[in-house]
Amino acid sequence: MPEAELERMTATADPALEPLAALLAADVVAVHLGPEDGTDGLEISILDEPASEEVRSECVDLRTFLRERLAPLPSEERGAVMTLLDEVAAAEPASADPIALSASRALVREALREPLPVSVVERDEPQGLHFDSVHALAEDAFYVRGWARDDQAPMQRLTVISPEGSRVELLPGIYREPRPDVDSFYEDPTRTGAEGTGFLGYCETGAPSLLSSGWVLEMENALGVGREFPGPQVSRDLLAARAAILSDLHKESDWQTPLMDHVVPAVSRIQQRLEELAKIKDVWDFGEPAGSPENSIVVPLYGRIDFLEHQLAQFVHDPELRESELIYVLDSPELETALKTSAGQLFELYGVPFRVVVLAQNGGYSVANNRGASLAHGRRLLLLNSDVLPAAPGWLGRMAAFYEEQDSVGALGPKLLFEDDTLQHAGIRFQRPPGGGAWENEHYFKGLHRDLPAANLTRRVPAVSGACMMIDRELFEDLGGLRGMYVQGDYEDTDLCLRLREQGRDTWYLPEVELYHLEGQSYALETRTAMSRYNVWLHTRLWDEEIAAAMAETE
Amino acid sequence: MTDKPKILYVSHNHPTVRPGGAEAYAYELYRAVRDGGEFEPLFLARTGPPVSISSRYHEGTLLTGVNEDPNQYFFYTDTLEYDWLNGTPRGKAALIKYLREFLEAQRPDIVHLQHTLFFGYDMLRELRNTLGEEVPILYTLHEFLPICHRNGQLVRTTTEKPCREESPRRCHECFPEVSPQEFFMRKRFIQSQMSLVDRFIAPSNFLRDRYVDWGLPAEKVFPEEYGRLPVTPAPTRDRRVRNRLVFIGQLSYFKGINVLLRAMKRLQEDGVDVQLAVYGANLELQPDEFRTEFAELLEATNETVSFEGEFNHDDLPTIMADADWVVVPSVWWENSPLVIQEAGQHRRPVIASDIGGMAEKVHDGVSGLHFKAADPASLAETIARAVGTRRLWDELQRRIEPPYEMDEHVRSLGRHYRELLASRSEEELVTPPAPATEIESVRYA
Repeated sequence: MPEAELERMTATADPALEPLAALLAADVVAVHLGPEDGTDGLEISILDEPASEEVRSECVDLRTFLRERLAPLPSEERGAVMTLLDEVAAAEPASADPIALSASRALVREALREPLPVSVVERDEPQGLHFDSVHALAEDAFYVRGWARDDQAPMQRLTVISPEGSRVELLPGIYREPRPDVDSFYEDPTRTGAEGTGFLGYCETGAPSLLSSGWVLEMENALGVGREFPGPQVSRDLLAARAAILSDLHKESDWQTPLMDHVVPAVSRIQQRLEELAKIKDVWDFGEPAGSPENSIVVPLYGRIDFLEHQLAQFVHDPELRESELIYVLDSPELETALKTSAGQLFELYGVPFRVVVLAQNGGYSVANNRGASLAHGRRLLLLNSDVLPAAPGWLGRMAAFYEEQDSVGALGPKLLFEDDTLQHAGIRFQRPPGGGAWENEHYFKGLHRDLPAANLTRRVPAVSGACMMIDRELFEDLGGLRGMYVQGDYEDTDLCLRLREQGRDTWYLPEVELYHLEGQSYALETRTAMSRYNVWLHTRLWDEEIAAAMAETE
Repeated sequence: MTDKPKILYVSHNHPTVRPGGAEAYAYELYRAVRDGGEFEPLFLARTGPPVSISSRYHEGTLLTGVNEDPNQYFFYTDTLEYDWLNGTPRGKAALIKYLREFLEAQRPDIVHLQHTLFFGYDMLRELRNTLGEEVPILYTLHEFLPICHRNGQLVRTTTEKPCREESPRRCHECFPEVSPQEFFMRKRFIQSQMSLVDRFIAPSNFLRDRYVDWGLPAEKVFPEEYGRLPVTPAPTRDRRVRNRLVFIGQLSYFKGINVLLRAMKRLQEDGVDVQLAVYGANLELQPDEFRTEFAELLEATNETVSFEGEFNHDDLPTIMADADWVVVPSVWWENSPLVIQEAGQHRRPVIASDIGGMAEKVHDGVSGLHFKAADPASLAETIARAVGTRRLWDELQRRIEPPYEMDEHVRSLGRHYRELLASRSEEELVTPPAPATEIESVRYA
């Protein structure tokens, strides 16, 4: 720092700068440039007291401060200032006006950043750089995509910079993918090797980044030659981001691919965001719920709210259902109005008391179940799909009685049938495809007749389906419920069974209880394939050894 | 006030609004029971679009009166809001409010359903909600709608052949846009409602067997033929040659009129001396393909076939007087076709398809003749034999059994009613509590 001085800034003329001023100076924060304690450097501290008039009079506005004091600094020191600002912004938990704060930080960045020559995409240029897309997954989590090449010298750094000035170094962890389109543009057939021209992956910024434009990609080679390229508009559609990220998995065939090191944290952040958005918005009670119920049935409703009528038309024949707590979770918020009318009328008609939990946004299978379970009172939970119909009354009591009899039982699943009386579910095992690969869930005896003797043995199994699963409620809560990291209703159930197994709990299959599972009516098959590839790989990534042990036990 | 047990009859239509076999029978039954004096009948007939202009008549109620009869009501329901697959209204207000109010005001002792169409199968649930377990519910099965989504025809859309076995897979083959799972749910839904019925009345054994195969408990399904009001048989034509045929029925594919016309074309080409009169309605409702074929066949048979169009039921004796044989060539199973009973009342032998309710009600070589269903050659041959065999007509006519009289039918139904009422009073029955009428809503911040 050339001059040791203390600057205090305050918001004055420029309202766009106000939020940064609120952070950096004014009544809250003071910027110290220089050695307050005698050493060189820059320090930013938070003032506890409102600044006095005397202090204020010594302040300058931020733009002046940037222009007159900071801009003339050497590039390294400007970099240090930006780094420190980033750290302050990251440390500040919540700002009153975060968007305006971001705008102010962007101003600071533009004043202080040392721009590099912009990359020109031409065949004779040794350096080439392109920033294809930025998906915002959270305020500080992004999925970036582009390509970079350098014919001159090895690439030393590849850096993305948020509009607010957060710098994230992508090398060496970023996933490199071949870009034959780019290579052929440069007529560079020799370009091969382990590293592809393209890059894509997950990254986190130190401080929140909220602005939609202003991202920059920088590259520098071993000779010190640098280039930059302006980033595209940030895409904030979480579902579109998820679909794009999941479709990247088609580039790979092995679950152990380093690509998963990017896809898993990215999708997990998306799932976490979606979960946060899917709060309980409303709870409607139809009828007097059973007093101190033993069993709480939780049924997510997604899309097909007409399944409610079909289930009630069966539940009405079973007195046990009136003694239980019946909780429907509407995971299709757009159907709220239709369901409210319909649910009230159906309660009038069937007289089976039930509760409807409305989620503010679609949260997916695990979130819907967890939200429903969070309101349950029964000692035992019965997770039930909306497309499951009991074959006959009495099923719930028989499951509950069996559950009580077993020591160290975790999850209990009944026999599930297709509409033609063949087996949809008789317990789940795990299987690797020939030649190795990720473990896949396999339903025992799928498609065989319900009377098959082997499918009629009550026994421990590696896992059971979440389409109809009984579990102790406290146990479920202790485990944190179903995990939302999987995408849309797949593998959460076996994940739960494996977590139970880790705790020394057994999973049981009970064939004496039969229900029909009329599966596959809610989801389109195409969207499921991309998701299931992810779910399978994630599941194996988390459970490879545990699954191997579980399967060794059964054989 | 009266001590007579009150019987509520429910029909999907009132025959004075639009004629139809099942509704005509239901109305005749209502009047016969009323005249019988043992029970006090009440007739509730569904109406509304398309048979009426509007979906309700008065504001605030779905009821209107019928012909100033204090015991007959129209009940308006809206077909636009009807779930045709599952046979249920999408909104339940008609059941949980308007039907409930009607039942609470009328408090019938017995309910005898003739049809639940456009009320919804779940009207049964509402009957139980309001009337409790002690009120017997009977249900006369007039056709196969619960079993077959194709308007109960039991004819496959894929082959147009009669269907012998329903299943989610086969139903899905007939209706690819409806999944097997939805067909399964449809069946479970309808059966859930029908399980609330105490006794089913089956007008033919064939129909009873189909429903038992489908899943109704055999001990609940009682065969009971339709009763007929007495008529004076139309005079027999004083002729030696019995060569006059008549077809009476809907002009639709399923009724087999085109099979009959094709047979007539063959007979005309072969120079057989035979004449057919065709009486029937609703041609305008049929698909173009059928109508075109019908018109072409009429043109080709103009020497032997006369198309008489719609007919008034009162003209039946005149029509019968001009005929020797009644032809019932349906390509679907039928239940108990009224036209066969009417032929019997007028003592005309019937030439009928050899399947389902027709084969059951017409005894081949005894009171009529069978031919191979949907086969014009077989029908032509059978007609040729019928008109060409001396004294065959007289032998068959002699063996026609007298029709089942309405009085006898009412006595038989009366036994069902009394048995059910008696079984109710023997044991103490507890009415399940009605569901609470208030909907609580809890709002969480």
